[in-house]
This record gives sequence, structure tokens and C-alpha cells, in this order.
Amino acid sequence: MIVSYGEVLGLAVCLFFMGMICVATRRNLIMILIGVEIMLNASGIAFVGAALRWRSLDGQAFVLFLMAVAAAEVAVGLALIVYAHRHTGTINGDKYNLMKG
Amino acid sequence: MQTEWFSLLPLIILATGGSVIFCLGAFLRRQESTALLFGLAVVTCLASGGSAVSFRNLPGQLSGLLAIDVFSSFYTVLFATITLITLLLSYQYAKNRGFFGDEFLGIILFAAAGMVLIAASIHWLPFFLGLEMVSISLYVLIAMRRGDSLAIEAAVKYFTMGAVASAFVVFGIAMLYGATGTLDIMKSLDVGGHVDNRFLLLFGLCLILVGLCFKISLVPFHLWTPDVYQGAPAPITAFLATGTKVALLSMFVRLAVYGGDSVGAVFAPAVWIMAALTMVVGNITALAQTQIKRLLAYSSIAQMGYMMMALLAFKHQGPAAVIFYSVVYAFTDLGAFGTVGLLSPNNSDRDAIADYKGLGYAQPAKAALLTLCVFSLAGLPTTAGFIGKFVLFRAALDANFIGLAMIGILMAILSLYFYLNIVVVLYMRPAEKTTALKTTGNEAILACFLIATIIFSLGLFPSFTLTVIEQIVDHISNP
Repeated sequence: MIVSYGEVLGLAVCLFFMGMICVATRRNLIMILIGVEIMLNASGIAFVGAALRWRSLDGQAFVLFLMAVAAAEVAVGLALIVYAHRHTGTINGDKYNLMKG
Repeated sequence: MQTEWFSLLPLIILATGGSVIFCLGAFLRRQESTALLFGLAVVTCLASGGSAVSFRNLPGQLSGLLAIDVFSSFYTVLFATITLITLLLSYQYAKNRGFFGDEFLGIILFAAAGMVLIAASIHWLPFFLGLEMVSISLYVLIAMRRGDSLAIEAAVKYFTMGAVASAFVVFGIAMLYGATGTLDIMKSLDVGGHVDNRFLLLFGLCLILVGLCFKISLVPFHLWTPDVYQGAPAPITAFLATGTKVALLSMFVRLAVYGGDSVGAVFAPAVWIMAALTMVVGNITALAQTQIKRLLAYSSIAQMGYMMMALLAFKHQGPAAVIFYSVVYAFTDLGAFGTVGLLSPNNSDRDAIADYKGLGYAQPAKAALLTLCVFSLAGLPTTAGFIGKFVLFRAALDANFIGLAMIGILMAILSLYFYLNIVVVLYMRPAEKTTALKTTGNEAILACFLIATIIFSLGLFPSFTLTVIEQIVDHISNP
């Protein structure tokens, strides 16, 4: 392998934390969704790297399922955001604060 | 390995039932088909639970992905019952509020299939798929009631929290796989000879535990819970609070039994602190609540704390106690949230505790069930909650977690105050205003009857269930 598992892992961990920072700091719901996607795809990279490291197909099979699940999650998430936007007129996460206590 | 396809029947029935309902919903008129579709969903639940009972002794292992054994069959029956009761409780509720239809039933069945998948998986892939099936179904179910601002807010919050938690779980699984080269749950918890991979393994497990703790709302990952439980329609809250949590607790039991010896010592202090915090914060915050769904949400957080306490005793009676208490918790919370739904007028859920004044006389049967569930949550004798708390605390004391058990017992005593307060409001305060409720349908009465029977029978004759559960734990600890 030209690229070692350690380097792939480093990239995946960096991406994962970038996604996490995006989720934690952005208030726009769509940006939060993008952050989650980055986190999921970081795991995809880690899986492929590990599959090459151990010469097994399990990790690559997992990535196929992961992509399908991520697509389903985005579909439902975007539908939810559109629906919420129609009802409340905002996609700012901080504006969803009717309940407290 | 011989693949016995029919050992998968409980799952196939749930998934097929959901798909058939979706297909029929495309052709039938909504007004005319509600009873038919509802009947079909009920039959699906019964068939799935029934097939799980009859296949419980199959040594079915499906290419290392799923284990269809007594453990998963027990949970399949439990999830089928939870789903059945949810369906019975929500039929009239959803019809009166105009969100009953094929999509509602189909999605509930898919969520149930996801829960069964979680309980049956011995491989991280089906576990992840099951987790996502449950979560994505619930995002939709929470927002099902159109135009309800609180429900929209709950769905948005549950979606952001749930998606982040799922991402944590997947990344953790990727780290485990990188460290051990296998996705088999039991093997992936042990690094064996590769000591240099131990850090990666622990990092991965940390992420998985954070993700799972989000989903079962342990303190400090609990902040979404009260908002989501308050905003979601009451029968959906019942489903969300019981089904998801019981499914994930089955995973916690599996992790504790499989990985207790190799990594248990590393995580025990963290779990100790989280269990203590969860019991303290859950119960103390519940004291200040004025809305019943928020109060029940904090109470459900506290119940998770008790279960985490017993899970620490994984070498003793802990796993059996957790499984037993999760059964108790499931039916008690179904009853509590379910009666809140049944007592609610059509425009919004009856949420303020003050609105329950005098209901003990206006709605005697439903108020009695709510009282029974509250007693069971408080752990008063003759109810299931008493036996459940007893086995939990006994497991913790046997394993010498005396400090933690003391915190738990103190908090359980403290919690009596807010639980009994509900009963006082129901029976000892005169009603201020009366809102007419529509008469309750037979199916909801049947659900209430089922819940009351289960709570009493687990409370008075727990030995049968406890023996079954001990066999199950034996089975998964000595494969």
C-alpha cells in the first residue's frame, strides 16, 4: 500500500472532528445536516482503510450499506427541514425553542 | 453454517407486513381502509411474536450476522407486544387527529423490525441497520401530526441529536474494525495479541458508548429527551420511550456480557459516574416539572440510571436484572404515556399536571391505570416496579457497588414525592374545568387491560419471567 493505514486513519479522524465542529457551531439546520454527512463519510473512509489493512471485504460491504443509510437519513432530514421551514419560516436551529424547563 | 431461512420469520413478517400495508395504502381510499389496515398491522405483530415463540429453540446463526436464539426470541416477543400495544393505543388517537393512515402503520412496523434486528444482531452491520431503521422511522413518526409546532420542534431536535449519535456509533464501529479486523461483536471487543491496537479499540468503544448513551439518554447526554417526549404525540412518545430504549439496552447487555472481561474494567468508572449522575439529575429535575410528559421524561431518564447501575454488576446478576427491569419499564411507561394520550382532548395533549385535577372521578378507569403505572415507576409493592427495583438493587449490592446503590435508594425515596403528587392531583384536588373526551374505543380498553395485567402479574408472580431471563443470560454468556 502506498498510503499506510495510519494515514488513512488520520484523515478520517480529522474529517470526523471537522464534521463534529460543524455540527456544534453552525445554527443553520442544513449546515448541521452537512456536518453529520461529513462525519458519516469519515467513517466510510476509515472502513475502507481498515478493510485494506486486514484484507477483508467486511469493511467495504459496510460502506455500501453506510452510503444507503446516509442517503435515507438525508432524504428524511431534508424533508423534515423543508416541512419545518414551511411551518415556522426559519431554518435557524436556535429558533426552535418553544419548549423549556 | 446451515441457514434456516424460516428462523428469520419474525423479522420477515414485520418487514413484509409493513410493505404490504404501504402497497395497499396506495390503492385503497383512506377513509374506508383504516380498519382493514389496522387489522393487518395487528395481525402482523401477533404473527411475528407467535413465530418467535415457536422458533425459540432453533440454533439459528445466519452467517455470523444474526443469532436467532432464546435471547432474540424473547426480545422479539417483547417488541411485538410493545408494538401491538402502541398500535391499540394510537388507533383512535391518530384517527381523531387526522394522521392515521398506511404510512403511520407501516412505519411503526418497520421500526419494530429494526428493534428486532438490534436485539438479534451479533455483528455490527445488522446492528447499525437496525439502529437506523428505528431512528429514521421515529423521525417521521414524531412529525406525523401535521401543523403541530411542538411536534415539529421535537422532530427537528430528535433528528439532529439522533443523526449525530448515529455518526458517533458508525465511526466507533469503524475504529473497532480498524483495531481488530472483524465486525463480529464478540470478537471485536478483544484485541488479543495486537496490544498496540488497544488504544484504537478503546477510542472506538468510547465513541460507540457516547452514541448509545445519547440514544438511551443518560446524563450528560439527556438534554434532548424532555423536549422530544413533550412534543411528540403521546402514543408515539410511549413507543419512542420504550421500544428504542429497550432495544438499545439489549445491546448494552450484550456488550457487558461479551466485553466485560476484556474492557469492562476500563469503562466501569465512567459508567459508575454516568449512572450516579443520571439517577440524581433525573429524579431531582423531575421534582420541578409542572408538565406530565416532561415529568415522565425525567422519570424515564432516572430509570435508565438504575439500569446502568445494575449493568455494572455484569459478573453477577446484573444482566438478568437489567433485562427484567427493561420489561417492567417498557410496560409501565407504555401505560403512563398511553393514558396521557387517552386522557387528552383532541386539540393538544393534556400536558399540565394541574389539568389532571379531579380526573380520578371523571375518568376513573384511565386514572386508575395512570395511578398503577405511577406506582410501578415509584416501585411500590405489588406492582412490577417493586420487584424490578428489588432485583436491580440486589444485583448492585451483590457486586459490592454499595455507594452507588445508596445513591439509587435515596433517589428512589425522593422520587416518591413527585410520583405521589400525580396521584394526589388525580384524586384529592377538585376539578376546575371539565373537558368532554370522546368515548374510548374497545381497542384502547384492551391495551389498558393488557398493561394492567402485565404490571400486576410481573409484580405478584415474577418467578417465571425471572427464570426465563436467567436461562437467556446463561445462553448468551456461554455460547
